Amino acid sequence: MVPFGEVPEVALKVIAAHVLGYFNLDAGILPRLKSPAYAFDVNRHQYNAATILKDLGSMPSHDYVKVIGLLDVDLFVPILTHVFGEAKLGGKCAVISLHRLKTDSDGSKASESLILERAAKVALHELGHLFDLVHCMDRRCLMHFSGGLQELDETPLYFCRYCSKSLEDKLHRHGIDV
Amino acid sequence: MDEKMSIMIVDDEMIVRESLYHWFKKYGHVVETASSGHEALEKLEKLPFEVLFVDIKMPVMNGIELLGKVKEEYPDTIVIIITAYGSIDTAVKAMKTGASDYLLKPFEPDQLSLMLEKIASQRRLASEYQYMKGQLEAITRFDNIIGESPSMQAMFDLIPEIAQSDSSVLITGETGTGKELVAKAIHARSPRSNGPFVAINCGAIPDTLLESELFGHQKGAFTGAVHARKGFLEVVTGGTLFLDEIGEISPKMQIDLLRVLEDKKVTRIGDRQPIDVDFRLICATRRDLEKDAAAGTFREDFFYRINVIAFHVAPLRKRKGDIPLLVDHFLNKYSHETTKQVDHVRRDAMELLKRYDWPGNVRELENAIERAVVLSRSRTLGIDDFSFLRPSRTQLSGPRSLQEMEKDHIEQTLEECDWNVTGAAKILGINRVTLHKMIKRYNLQRPQEQVPGMP
Repeated sequence: MVPFGEVPEVALKVIAAHVLGYFNLDAGILPRLKSPAYAFDVNRHQYNAATILKDLGSMPSHDYVKVIGLLDVDLFVPILTHVFGEAKLGGKCAVISLHRLKTDSDGSKASESLILERAAKVALHELGHLFDLVHCMDRRCLMHFSGGLQELDETPLYFCRYCSKSLEDKLHRHGIDV
Repeated sequence: MDEKMSIMIVDDEMIVRESLYHWFKKYGHVVETASSGHEALEKLEKLPFEVLFVDIKMPVMNGIELLGKVKEEYPDTIVIIITAYGSIDTAVKAMKTGASDYLLKPFEPDQLSLMLEKIASQRRLASEYQYMKGQLEAITRFDNIIGESPSMQAMFDLIPEIAQSDSSVLITGETGTGKELVAKAIHARSPRSNGPFVAINCGAIPDTLLESELFGHQKGAFTGAVHARKGFLEVVTGGTLFLDEIGEISPKMQIDLLRVLEDKKVTRIGDRQPIDVDFRLICATRRDLEKDAAAGTFREDFFYRINVIAFHVAPLRKRKGDIPLLVDHFLNKYSHETTKQVDHVRRDAMELLKRYDWPGNVRELENAIERAVVLSRSRTLGIDDFSFLRPSRTQLSGPRSLQEMEKDHIEQTLEECDWNVTGAAKILGINRVTLHKMIKRYNLQRPQEQVPGMP
């Protein structure tokens, strides 16, 4: 995992624990990087997730199979107003941000435990994409697409049977047994 | 997502193409991109795409132009227009041109997700429609005979009625109109449907051989008759005998067959013992046997014996409304048989097919489609794919006066409408009274045809 800017250590540890628990993968934490000013879009006042992904891809990954960048800035991709996280299907890197996870569905400040739970869900979802999992129609699955916080909160912290099996197969192909 | 779609993103901005590409990939869809309208059309020619996301603002060919072309050539393709804030008017124009929906950039992630669900439900409706269309097609099809024109519908109504009687039927019609299919349909609906259906093309077999084929022979009846053999008249007992090109048989054969029809007995060549036979006779010809009988070149008594029920199959040029239906049918047939993905005929090509006179009728149309499908390099058949069609009667003749052209055009339209004046007037864009006056002025007359029914 790669922390950017001021992201709290606890968020990194919670995500790392979930990655270990769900994917049976050791998640190491790489040296902290500066907030990615190069990805800032002056018109939108947001950070371009695609640019950060590209940059992350060009960095040494120290033999890690996948890389997740954790940020605390508002992310977007050119066609969308915002994203919680971004990853290419079957790609090497993903980025996720705590920025939009900090408020509650009603606009009030969310509790820390809820923010961490949301961060873990987004991280596992994006990691799923990195292991070739596509969006799932089942609302009770981590791979179901959540466009808003309410939907994200309704999404459980587990994969449906179909996605679990599919993930198991994909990990097996990478020589990882769950 | 359980419903995978084939999607093409058309946008001149690589960053948009890439974003949408990766977004749709995450839903498991098959995704392709094109950086211009021309590239999109080229890709559509080769492969079918169910959904197109098209940016409205592109150089050379803008989104609206592309939308127009796509809707004209591939009306089933769902097109979603991507537009920026401030160009709502253009988005409205796009909706009027046939876009299924539009997206304002940048869109909420939820919006895109909902849009995909909406498209999926549209697709479900479209496939239900296709199913219903298939059901409807069953009504316009009759034992592989396809047509929805009034003359074909009249034929479909008549076949079951004729099938119930045991009288001889004479099917007339030009070559390639499907006379044998009609004979088979009559047999299939008759009480004899469990019996055999034997078809013989009298024009293709020499007279002496035809005699032996029909009547059979005893061992040693002639040189080479090493075994006794049953003739088709015997074999067909309980079923239907279809004699195609009956106008080609010799006067002697006409007498022999007349005797069989009257006595219901047949005697093998070289034998004296008559054998009881029981079959229904259906004959077909492209000649005007009534005229031949009057001229003495065809036996009149035999003609009346085989012409108990007369049945005329209209040539294709007189039921041009059936051409799109037939083209669809043959396209489907040959794309399956040749495993080539050809599923569409361009509008200009379809116009050519409808304009052409089809002297070889449905058979010629079938061959034309087969040839075009086999040689086609794209999934769409264009006007160039039918360049082998011979120019029609009207195209062959040299420069003609406006009056002659008008006369020909009116006559052709009347023929296409089966001489329904109201229908023809509607196509010609004139009122009925004017058309009646023109018919009188040009002295146009409906050709005398045999009307199905008793002579």
